[in-house]
This record gives sequence, C-alpha cells and structure tokens, in this order.
Amino acid sequence: MLPTGVHSLTYADDARILRTSRARHWLAALVVALLAYPAFAGPYMLGVFTHLFITLMAVYGLYVTVGMAGQINVAQSAFVGVGAFATAKLSGYEIHFMLVIPLAALITGFVSIFFALPAARVKGFYLALTTLAAQVVFPIIILALPTEWLGGLVGMSVEPIRMGGLTLGAPIHFYYFTLVVVALLTVAAFNLKRSRFGRAMIAVRDNDVVAEVMGVPVFRTKVLAFFVGSLFAGVAGACTAYFLQFVTVASFTLFASVWYLGMLIVGGVHSPLGAILGVAFITFLQEGLHAFANTLMQSGASGGVLFALTSVALGGCILIALIFEPRGLAHRWSVARTTFQLWPFPRN
Amino acid sequence: MSQGADRQPVLEADALSLRFGAVHALRSVSIHVLEGQIHAVIGPNGAGKSSLLNCLSGFYRPQSGSVRFRGKDISILAPHHRAALGIGRTFQGIQTYPSMTARENILSGFHCRMATGILGALIYWGRVRSEEETFSERAEAIIDFLELEEQRHAVVGDLPYGLRKRVDLGRALALEPKVLVMDEPMAGMSTEEKGDLARFILDIREALGIPVVLVEHDMEVVMAISDRVTVVDFGEVIASGTPAEVSINPRVVAAYLGGNVA
Ligand SMILES: Nc1ncnc2c1ncn2[C@@H]1O[C@H](COP(=O)(O)OP(=O)(O)OP(=O)(O)O)[C@@H](O)[C@H]1O
Ligand SMILES: [Mg+2]
Repeated sequence: MLPTGVHSLTYADDARILRTSRARHWLAALVVALLAYPAFAGPYMLGVFTHLFITLMAVYGLYVTVGMAGQINVAQSAFVGVGAFATAKLSGYEIHFMLVIPLAALITGFVSIFFALPAARVKGFYLALTTLAAQVVFPIIILALPTEWLGGLVGMSVEPIRMGGLTLGAPIHFYYFTLVVVALLTVAAFNLKRSRFGRAMIAVRDNDVVAEVMGVPVFRTKVLAFFVGSLFAGVAGACTAYFLQFVTVASFTLFASVWYLGMLIVGGVHSPLGAILGVAFITFLQEGLHAFANTLMQSGASGGVLFALTSVALGGCILIALIFEPRGLAHRWSVARTTFQLWPFPRN
Repeated sequence: MSQGADRQPVLEADALSLRFGAVHALRSVSIHVLEGQIHAVIGPNGAGKSSLLNCLSGFYRPQSGSVRFRGKDISILAPHHRAALGIGRTFQGIQTYPSMTARENILSGFHCRMATGILGALIYWGRVRSEEETFSERAEAIIDFLELEEQRHAVVGDLPYGLRKRVDLGRALALEPKVLVMDEPMAGMSTEEKGDLARFILDIREALGIPVVLVEHDMEVVMAISDRVTVVDFGEVIASGTPAEVSINPRVVAAYLGGNVA
C-alpha cells in the first residue's frame, strides 16, 4: 500500500514501478553506492558482485517462468549454459558483443521452446521431470557433438569484449559491464510484470482454466514464459562466458539450477524484488560463512570439516528464512513497510 | 420485454450432446439467445446447466451438435478464440485471479484486445505505454460502473465473496463481450447483494446493450429480470419460453416439485 498523501493523477502514475519519491530517492542512493563501490573494494569483492549480478539475471528469468507463469523449471542453469556456449561460438566469428548478447539470448529462447512445447502440456511433477530432462540432456548433447563445434569435454575459449581501444579483462571492467546489463534486465523484469503478458502469465498461474475462457491463450502463454525466462538465462550465459573467458559443460549443473530456484523461493516468487533479495541474501550469507570459516582455519581448525559445516549452516539459514517467512523476503519487506506507514495504528 | 420478431440470434446451440463416461450431461440440448435479451437457464442441481455454458464457451467439447455465434459456426474454436469473438463468461463459485488486484483482474480481460508484442512489453516504450493508458481508462470505466472504486488496488484474494463476484463480472466486461454468459452469479449472496447484481445485469442489457445468458436458482430473480427461460432437467430441455409460459408448464412444475408428469 501507499503512504497517505500519495495520489495518482494519471493512469500512467498508477502503472509506475516506483510510485513514491521516497522510493525513487532510495533507488538513486543504491545506484550511486553501486557505481562508487569499486573505489572501496578489492578485486575479490568485485568478483563476488559480478557473480551476484549474473546470478540475478538468471533468477529474473526464473521469476518469469516460475514466479509469474507458475511453470516449474529445474533447468535454468542448462539454459544459462546454452547462452554461454552460443556466446563462445559467436564471439569466435568476430561479431560485436552488442550483437552477440541479444543473439545468444534469442538462441537460448528458441532452444527453450523445444523443451517448452512438451512441458507446457503437463503440470506439476511431470512438468518438473520434463525440465529436468532438459538439464540432463544439455551436457550429453554438448559432449556428443563434434569437438570442433562446441569444444566437447575440453570446453571453448571466449573472445573478450573490445570497446574502442579497451579489452574487458580486469575485475572492475566486468563489475561495471554486468552492472549495466543487470540494470537493464531489472527494468525489463518490472516492465513485463505490468504489461499484458505479465497479467496473462499470472492469470495462467492463478487459474489456467478460467484464463483460457477469458481470452488468454494458455498454451502459448506457458511457452512464452519459458521463452522469455530463457532470454534472461541467455543474457546471463553471455555474461558468464565473457566473465570466465572460457566455457565448459561442468559449469552448468543441476546443482546450480536448484540453487537458482532456492534463491527465488527465499526471496519471494511474486515480484522481481524477491529475486533481488533472494540472490543478495544467499550470496552474502555464503560469502560471510566462507570468510568466517577462513578466519577459523587460520587459527588451526581443519578445512574439510569447516567447509562442510558452512554448507550445513547455509542450509539452516535458508530453512529458518523459509519457516519465518514462507512467502519470501519480499513479502516480509512489504509487510514491514505497511506497518511503518500505518504506525501507530495496527495493520488491518 | 417480450420477444420481438426482428431480433437476431447472437449465440445458438443446436442439438448438443455431451457424455462423461456413463453420465449424459446433455442430450440434444438447443438454445437460441437473441440480441438484447436476458435468457435464463434454470434446472435442478446436476441438470447440466454448467455443462451447457461450458460448451458455449468452448471449455467442454460436445460429442455432437454445433454452436453458432452471430450465424457463424464456432464449434471447433478454442475457448480463447471464442472469448476474442466476444463471448464473455462469469463462473460458478469463486474463479477470480486471487493474487492480482481488482484492477489487474479487470485489465487481464483486455488481453485479447491489446496489441503489444513481447519485446514491447519488456521495453515498455512509448506506444506500449499509451496502449496501457488507453486500457487503464477503460478499466476505470468498468470499475466505475460496478462501483469498485474502493477496492481498485485491493488484492482480490482478500476481498469478500460478493465483491469477488463483481470483479469476475468486471473481467468479463473487459472482454467487450457481444454476449455475456453467467453461471449462478448470485449463488451465496445476501438479498441486498443479489439486488445490486440484478441491477448491474439489467444495466448491462440496457446501457451496454449486451445480451445475457444467466443460470440462476433464485426463481424470484429469474422471473423478474429474464425475457426468456430455458428449463433443463437430466440433460434435456423440458421447456422454453417466456417466464410466464414456463412457470405454468406442467413438466417444469413437476421437475421442481419432484413429482411425476401427469
Ligand atoms: N468434468 C466433468 N467430468 C465428469 N462429469 C461431469 C463433469 N462436469 C459435469 N459432470 C456431470 O454432468 C452432470 C451435469 O453437471 P453440471 O455441472 O452441468 O450441472 P449443473 O446443472 O450446473 O448443476 P449445479 O446447479 O449443481 O451447478 C452432473 O451429473 C455432473 O456430475
Ligand atoms: Mg452448475
């Protein structure tokens, strides 16, 4: 809900993403902080943030497929992989990166349609299995193809991005590059939600029988949800390829797909804000636990046991977050904001 | 208002038969809905009224028979295509989209009227923005009409039953229907809510000129607002005519009193 005194005078106002000047100020502050951050951070932390931005791109895609359209997808990491291999291949033909990234996204989108066509006909458990097939088939296909095509077991190197005289290679380059890309995708994710397709996807999730009778082509909308979700995955894959400068199938595992889903669920599946909060929460938790384990190790503790324990602690924190707020951090956030705006009156 | 000779049929079903295994939900059911009329479909529980409506909107495929819309055979069209032609529908029970606001529920009904492509939706550039505004304006007109101003931004899952039914109606109106098919819109409502809804239905016919197919159990309402009544029992049409004709038909009286036809 909105604070008192904020009124929409036009319909465009009603459809704005940030509806209060306070929200716009906070966003401006966040942007300034992110732009200034490299001045204070070392290369390690810049790498962590770059990884966070790329993860967020992939999770935005899941937000579309799983969050908006309600189509479970346990193959997002494979789709990121498709984008990464497409980028590696295209970069070898000396195509400009501004063209490579959208092309990689489109290729990923079309590959996903191949799996979405059967997936959109089934529901629940069977849908999960169908997308699982996509994840399992991905490395098999790459390894089965001739080595000259996509590098097989060895993988492929990626031609770096050149902008004018600059070749992207330093952590700070990747930080700014992925920051710009993730900013664009953030706007796209929020835009989709307020468009007719966003409403159609949510309608399909909420009640697909009724949606069809109310003029929403349900089958096409489900396929579209996979397609758009994979566009995001494809961009994430392109950024991964440029960042790592080398792609192998080993980087795009079922494990990663499940993590993407976990991040979205912890953050909240019903808004792009959930994707942001989930990715940030889990990334920083992971980093914090690793840093903590490192300090303990310097004081003599055994490494193997410690890192096993950090995984347990991470799992525990996620469980607590889910028990405490099953609808995700984004929901907790909106409850807190409403409480603040209504204070001293109780909610409801 | 009685049946005029000049009225064109909007929505017609001819000899629909529908079976679910051993259950004969419909046996050669025909119905002719005319322009400008409120056409009630009544009958006991399990008579096949919802099945008939589902055949009209394309959600059920009858084993035989045909459905025509403004003279055109639409029997093979998918439900969303029929919606795009202008067959609006409201549902028995609560069938709104619970996670959306009332406004978004109504806007969702415009889906097949809007032209924005998927790329446009992601970028949300000038023309997309102005299309969104045009349709927001129309949504506001529906919100006004159904007196939902207070609930505009309320999440529909949190609204009471009567208001959700009104949102359901608003979403159907957003389709810009040429005919509105309503399944028990008043079931479970208080007398006051029923009165409000009856008023809206009459307004839809009078002010918007949209004919209505109405399944309703409340005989008082049916007799008061409908122009024609079709009575269904055990999947068969047992009577059809004006409310006055139907109410004295012996088969109807028998079906409602549960006795045998004399
Ligand atoms: N999807 C279905 N699968 C199997 N049987 C069905 C299905 N839909 C309806 N039926 C059966 O068809 C018959 C007619 O049901 P229908 O829902 O059309 O009745 P109705 O007149 O709408 O009743 P009510 O007043 O209770 O809503 C019933 O015997 C019902 O059990
Ligand atoms: Mg029924």
